[in-house]
Amino acid sequence: MMAEEARTLTIEITRFDPDRDEVPKTQEYEIQVQDDWKVLDAINYIKDEVDPSLSHRWSCRMAVCGSCGMMLNGEPKLTCKTALSDYDSKLKIEPLANFPIVRDLVVDMDGFMEKFRKVKPWIVRAKERAEDMENLSEKGTFSQSPAQLASFKQFSMCINCLLCYAACPVIANEPEFIGPAAIALGHRYNLDTRDEGDGQRNAIFRGEGTVFSCSFANECSEVCPKNVDPAAAVNQAKLGAVVDWAKGLILPRGGA
Amino acid sequence: MAGAAHPEAMAPPKKGATRTAPPRMPGSWWGAPRIRTYLLFGATGIIYLLAGTVVLRLVWALGNGPDAWDYALGSLSHPLYLIFHALTFVSLIFVGVRAFGTMMPKMQPRNGPFPPLPAAAVRGLIYSVWALLTLLLSLVLSGKIF
Repeated sequence: MMAEEARTLTIEITRFDPDRDEVPKTQEYEIQVQDDWKVLDAINYIKDEVDPSLSHRWSCRMAVCGSCGMMLNGEPKLTCKTALSDYDSKLKIEPLANFPIVRDLVVDMDGFMEKFRKVKPWIVRAKERAEDMENLSEKGTFSQSPAQLASFKQFSMCINCLLCYAACPVIANEPEFIGPAAIALGHRYNLDTRDEGDGQRNAIFRGEGTVFSCSFANECSEVCPKNVDPAAAVNQAKLGAVVDWAKGLILPRGGA
Repeated sequence: MAGAAHPEAMAPPKKGATRTAPPRMPGSWWGAPRIRTYLLFGATGIIYLLAGTVVLRLVWALGNGPDAWDYALGSLSHPLYLIFHALTFVSLIFVGVRAFGTMMPKMQPRNGPFPPLPAAAVRGLIYSVWALLTLLLSLVLSGKIF
């Protein structure tokens, strides 16, 4: 097999050292790259061979861990999944938009973690039922049909890479908005037949971090590297809120 | 990147020991065709606001008697109004097409055990209903039926 031919590529990278810099600046690196490289390979090359002071996050190299999301020429992408051959002459690499920058290409994810925790992305049971726990091996507790699984499986493919947050114009302007990934995962558990926590999650969706902040830009679903559809989750959550509101007006005791 | 995002965008609940740089908006904000379409979608709201004032004017004229009503209706044939009608028509089609395109998600809601229809079939259905309703309304408004 012939070795891939190397070419020169100018890569512009955001640099920020909280101990020295007031604001982020950019630094250019001119390196020899191969077209079978992913963008992450080029960043790792710079880190290993050119400038060891560069900070960035990465882990699995196969679009599973969601660590290496960055802005590539202004678009949020996973660097381990994006081919370097997509960029002819110049590539600009920046940390994820809409997040505070900790250092170079590393962003502060704590704000997301807080929002994520609020939507309780786990199965919530109203109370542990005695019958749930009886004869587990015989009845296969919490059994679920393939159709029931299909109703939420797509949303569960989210890897929390935060590209949707970096793409969302609402997140950039409304800090209270709970955001696409958190809504998608909260909605995923609301749709899960084993779960009984929809009331708690809907209080978040319809309250402080309201889903109605979403202005239907659809950017979250466009940039998702795992083909998850957070915009669909947001809009289904909106629809659910409207249906419950209408039920409250029409039905006795609010349809409860 | 483009301009600054809200300084509190995705801020941690508690300020950490390390100083951070404020969040920035993505550089593709104005440049990406998808975003331009989204902004245009939002801008059509201005046209609907103006269309709303036209409807209010007609309702007002209706309350002022048959002469005022006839005059108001007649004024809608003015070339400036005709341009406005055309603009409203185009913006309605644009909003409809964008909505039908983006509202056909990869993840469709399920109703019981039935699998969702293919997106193309649902989209076809929506466009058919839209065309049918437009035709029906046109026939009613032109006095061909009812």
